[in-house]
Amino acid sequence: MRKPHDLNRRDFLKLMGISAATGGLPQSIFPQISPLAFAGDHPLSNKILVVLELSGGNDGLNTLVPYGNDAYYKNRPTLGIKPNKLRKIDDHFGFNPDMSGMEKLYKDGNMAVFHGCGYDQPSYSHFTSMAYWQTAAPNSGESLGWMGKLADAMNPDIDPNYLVNVDATQSLAVVAKNHVPVVFDDPEEFGRKGLFKSRPLLDEDRIASDTSSQAKKRLLGLAKSARQASEKVRTACGNYKTPVDYGIAPLDLNKIAALINANMNTRLFYTSFRRNAFDTHVQQPNLHQRLLTYFSDAVSGFFTDMDRIGRADDVVMLVFSEFGRRVAENTNQGTDHGTANNMYLIGRSVQGGHYGDIPSLTDLHDGNMFHTTDFRRVYATAISGWLGLKAHEQVLRHRFNQFPVFS
Amino acid sequence: MNTILIKKRTIYSLLFASLITPLFAQSTDTWKNNLAPISEGDWDYAKARHLIDRVGFGEKPKNIERFVRMGPRASVRELVYFQSIPKHLDDFDHSGIFDPGIEPFPSSRPAATKLAKETGEAIGVRVKPNGNRRLQPVVDRFFYWLRASMLETRRVAYWWANRMLLSNRPLEEKMALFWHGHFATNEEKVRDYRKLLQQNAVFREYGTGNFKELLTQVSQDPAMLDFLDAGVNIKGSPNENFAREIMELFTMGVGNYTEQDIREGARAFTGWNHRNLKFVLNADQHDSSLKTFLDKTGNWDGLDIIDMILEKPVTAEYISGKIYKFFVRENIDPALQEELASFFYNSEYEITPLLEKIFLSQDFYSSASMGTHIKSPTDLVVSTYKKLGLNVLPGVPDFHDTTQSLGQTLLFPPTVAGWAGGKSWLTPGLLLARGNFVYDTVYPDINFIPSDRYPENYQIGIVAKRLAAGADIATATQPEDSYATSASNDMVDRDEEFNTRLGSYRGWRKAIEKVKPIDRSPASIDLTKMLIEARCQSTDEAVEYLIKRFFSISIDKKTQQEITNFLTRQLGTNDLEAAKTFSEEALRETLHLLLSLPEYQLG
Repeated sequence: MRKPHDLNRRDFLKLMGISAATGGLPQSIFPQISPLAFAGDHPLSNKILVVLELSGGNDGLNTLVPYGNDAYYKNRPTLGIKPNKLRKIDDHFGFNPDMSGMEKLYKDGNMAVFHGCGYDQPSYSHFTSMAYWQTAAPNSGESLGWMGKLADAMNPDIDPNYLVNVDATQSLAVVAKNHVPVVFDDPEEFGRKGLFKSRPLLDEDRIASDTSSQAKKRLLGLAKSARQASEKVRTACGNYKTPVDYGIAPLDLNKIAALINANMNTRLFYTSFRRNAFDTHVQQPNLHQRLLTYFSDAVSGFFTDMDRIGRADDVVMLVFSEFGRRVAENTNQGTDHGTANNMYLIGRSVQGGHYGDIPSLTDLHDGNMFHTTDFRRVYATAISGWLGLKAHEQVLRHRFNQFPVFS
Repeated sequence: MNTILIKKRTIYSLLFASLITPLFAQSTDTWKNNLAPISEGDWDYAKARHLIDRVGFGEKPKNIERFVRMGPRASVRELVYFQSIPKHLDDFDHSGIFDPGIEPFPSSRPAATKLAKETGEAIGVRVKPNGNRRLQPVVDRFFYWLRASMLETRRVAYWWANRMLLSNRPLEEKMALFWHGHFATNEEKVRDYRKLLQQNAVFREYGTGNFKELLTQVSQDPAMLDFLDAGVNIKGSPNENFAREIMELFTMGVGNYTEQDIREGARAFTGWNHRNLKFVLNADQHDSSLKTFLDKTGNWDGLDIIDMILEKPVTAEYISGKIYKFFVRENIDPALQEELASFFYNSEYEITPLLEKIFLSQDFYSSASMGTHIKSPTDLVVSTYKKLGLNVLPGVPDFHDTTQSLGQTLLFPPTVAGWAGGKSWLTPGLLLARGNFVYDTVYPDINFIPSDRYPENYQIGIVAKRLAAGADIATATQPEDSYATSASNDMVDRDEEFNTRLGSYRGWRKAIEKVKPIDRSPASIDLTKMLIEARCQSTDEAVEYLIKRFFSISIDKKTQQEITNFLTRQLGTNDLEAAKTFSEEALRETLHLLLSLPEYQLG
C-alpha cells in the first residue's frame, strides 16, 4: 500500500493560494483547518463527488414544473401548480414554490438539469429500481455498487476513508470489491461500546506479524481504519461549527461538509433522503412541498458552506431518485410510481443549463413517459467529465456519451 | 511395526488429541487447490473445529472433541448424510394472522381501494354502505396485513435462527441459508410470511438433494413467482424478470445467453402462477407457439427451459463455484473450478456428493482456507450464541435489529442478487457494530424496547394519543410537524372515502394484537461456571480456554498476555477459584475484549 504522506507546509500554502484565487476567505479558513489535516491524510484531493439519493420516487414533474406545457395541467387538475406560484427559471420551467435555494443555484449557472432520465424496461418497484440505479446495471443482478466500483477503479491503492456513506446501513451503491467504505450515521454513535477500564485495550493499535494470513492482515487494517475513521468522523463533526443554515433537515450534508472541512481524503460521498420519503401516493401537495423545501434548503446550504470554507470549486453533487411518478395524478391527491425523471449535477464547476431531450407528456406508454436519457450518461459525465476517470466502462460496463457539462 | 503398538499409540493420540495437536492451523500450503481427501492421520482439533464452523455454526469443545475422535471421513459423512438423524425441532408456531380473503393481496393501497370501489369489496372486507369513509375498513385491513406479515416474517427469521442454533442437522440449516442468498426473495415485495416460510421449507427439503429438483421447486414456488412478477408474465405481454434472473443469477451467470434467450425464455414461462400457496399453470395464459432458446427451436415450456439450462456445463460450473465460495474461500482456482464443475455435472447435479468431496478435500483444510473466511452476520451471531452454550436464541438484543445493523437481515435480502458477501461484510462501522453486538449480548440493554411492538413511526403513536383524548379523526390524523407550512390545513382529509393515517394506526394495533410476542429473555450466560467446568484454575488458563473455545485463528502472545493481565487486575488475583463468587463481571468484560478483536471475525 502506498504510504500516505503528510500535508506539508508548502501544500498548505498552495492550498491557501487556491482558496484566495477562487474568492475564498483565507483568513476565515485558517482557524477552520483542523489539526487533523496534518495527521497523515493525503493532501487535499481537488475533486469530490457527493451523490444524494431521493428515496421513494420523487415526483419530478412537481419538482421542476413544465408550466409551459398544457398537458401537465391537463393531467394534473388538482396537483398541477399554477404558474404564478412557481419559481420560474425560464419560460418553460419553474421550481416548486419553496425551492428558493435550487432556483438560485440554477440562476447562478451552477446547476445542470438532465431531462427524461431512465432506462429500458423500467421497474416500478422501489426496491428493484433503486438497486438498478445503485449498481448502474438495470435489469441485472450486479452485486457491487457503482460508487464502490468507482472507488476501486479510481484508487487501486485502497486508501482508507476514500469512500464515505452516511446512512444507518451501507447502501448497495457503495459496495466495493476492494475498498472499505466508511459507513456511519450518527457520528456520536460511530464508535465502540466498551467499559472504562477495557478502553485502552479495545482501542489499542495492533500490528500484524509477517506470518499473519492475508485475511488477518486485512482485518487488522480494517480495525485500524475503523478506529481512525470513527475518531476522525467524531472529531470532525464534533469540532465543526458553521453559521450556514441547512434548513430543518440537513440530509447529512452538514456531516459531509464537516468531513470535507477536516480535509479527510474522501473523494466520494453517498447519502440519501431516507425511508422512501418521496413515495407520495396520497395527499401529496403539502407533504411534497415540505420535502422539497428540506431538500432545496440542505443543498443550497451545503454549497454556501462549501463557498465559505473555500471548497466550492472542488465539489459536485449528483441528485437522483429511483423513478419519477406517473404523469396523471391519481384519485387520492397523489401520484403513483412512474418512469423518467430529472437528474441534477450541481456545483460551481458545472456548466449550468438544460441537458437531454424533454420527454413528451402526451406520447405515453401506459400513462408513463418514455425516457430520453439513459441515467448512466449522467453517471458517465460525473465519472469521466468531473472525476477524470476516462474509462468509465470499468464502472458502468458500457461506454456512454457524456454531456458537455465540464468542458 | 506391530499392530498392538499402533493401537496403543492411536489410543494415546486420541486421549490427548486436544492437548498434543495444535489448536490452530499448521502450515498446509501444499494442500491448496488439491481435492484429494485428507488422511485420518492429519486430523486434529483445529480441523474438526474448522469443519463444524463451516458446515454448521460452530460447536462447544465437547462436541468438537467427538469429531476429533471420529476422524474426518466419519465426521463428514455424519454431517453430510444427515437424513437419518431424527428431526427434533418444532415447526413454526403460527400466530394465526392469516384468513382467506387476504389472498390475493392487492399490490398497493391504491389498488386495494380501487378494487373496493369497483366491486364493493377487497381483501375480504366489504365497503360500508353509507356514511363517511366508506372504504376505511378496506384500508385498515390493508395496513393490518402489511404490518402483521412483516412482524410474522421477523418471527419466522427468529425461529429459523433458533434452528441454526439448536439443530442436530446443522448442514440442513447452513444450506438453507446458502440457497436463501442464492434464490434471494424478500418480504418487502412478497408481503406474505407464509410464502417465505414455505420457500424456506423447500430450501431445507431439497437443499442438499438434486439441483434440478431444487431449481424446479423454487421456480414454481409462490414466493419466487410473486417476487419475480410471474403473475404478470402472460401470453402476449411477457415479463422478462424471472427468465432473466433464472439465467443470470440462478444458473449460468451473465454472458452465457442472449437477450433473445431471455425474451424467448419468458414466453416459455408464461402462464406460470400460483393460487394461494399452490403452483398453477394457467393454460390460457401460456404462449404455446414456437420459441428458439439457446439455439434450439420447439414449443418449449418452463420445464423445457430448465432442462436446457442444465444441459449447459456452465451451469454446473456456476453453481459448484458458488457453493465453493460460500463454504471454502472467496477465490477459486480455475483448474479446481473445472474439476468441481465436471464432478457436479457428471453426478447429474447431486449436491451432497459435491459437498462431501469439498469437505474432505485437502484444499478445504489448507492454510489458504482455514480461518480466512469473514463470518457472515448470521454466522457471527448464531455461532457466538452456540459457543456461549445457549439453549435458545436470546430476545435481547433483538435478532432482527442486530443482524440488520450488521448488514444481513434474514428474509429481507437487499436485492435478487442476495448478499454480496466476502469482503463486503465488513466496513469500519460494521466492524465496530460487531464488537457492539458482543457488548449487547454480555450486557443486555436495560432500556431495551422491542421494535416489533413499539412503533418506530412515532406519528402512529401520536394518532393513538389524540384519539384517546377524544379528537375527531381529521384532527387526530393531522401531520404533527409543527413546521408544516400554513397551507397544511388543505391536506387534512375531511370526508374523503378513507383516511390513510387512521388505517395505518388501526392496522398496526390489530397486528400487535394478533402477532405473538417474541420471548425477550436475554442470553443466559454463566462464564464462571463455564470456566470451572473446564477446570481452569488461573487467569492464564481462563483466557487460553476462551480463545480455544471462541476463535478459529490464534491471537498473538502479547495481546493474549495483556488480556490475561487485565483479567487478573480486575479480579485482584490470578486464582479463579478464589474469585469465583465475584468473577462474572470481570469475565464478561474480558470476553467482550476478546470477541472485539478483529481475529474473531475470521472463521
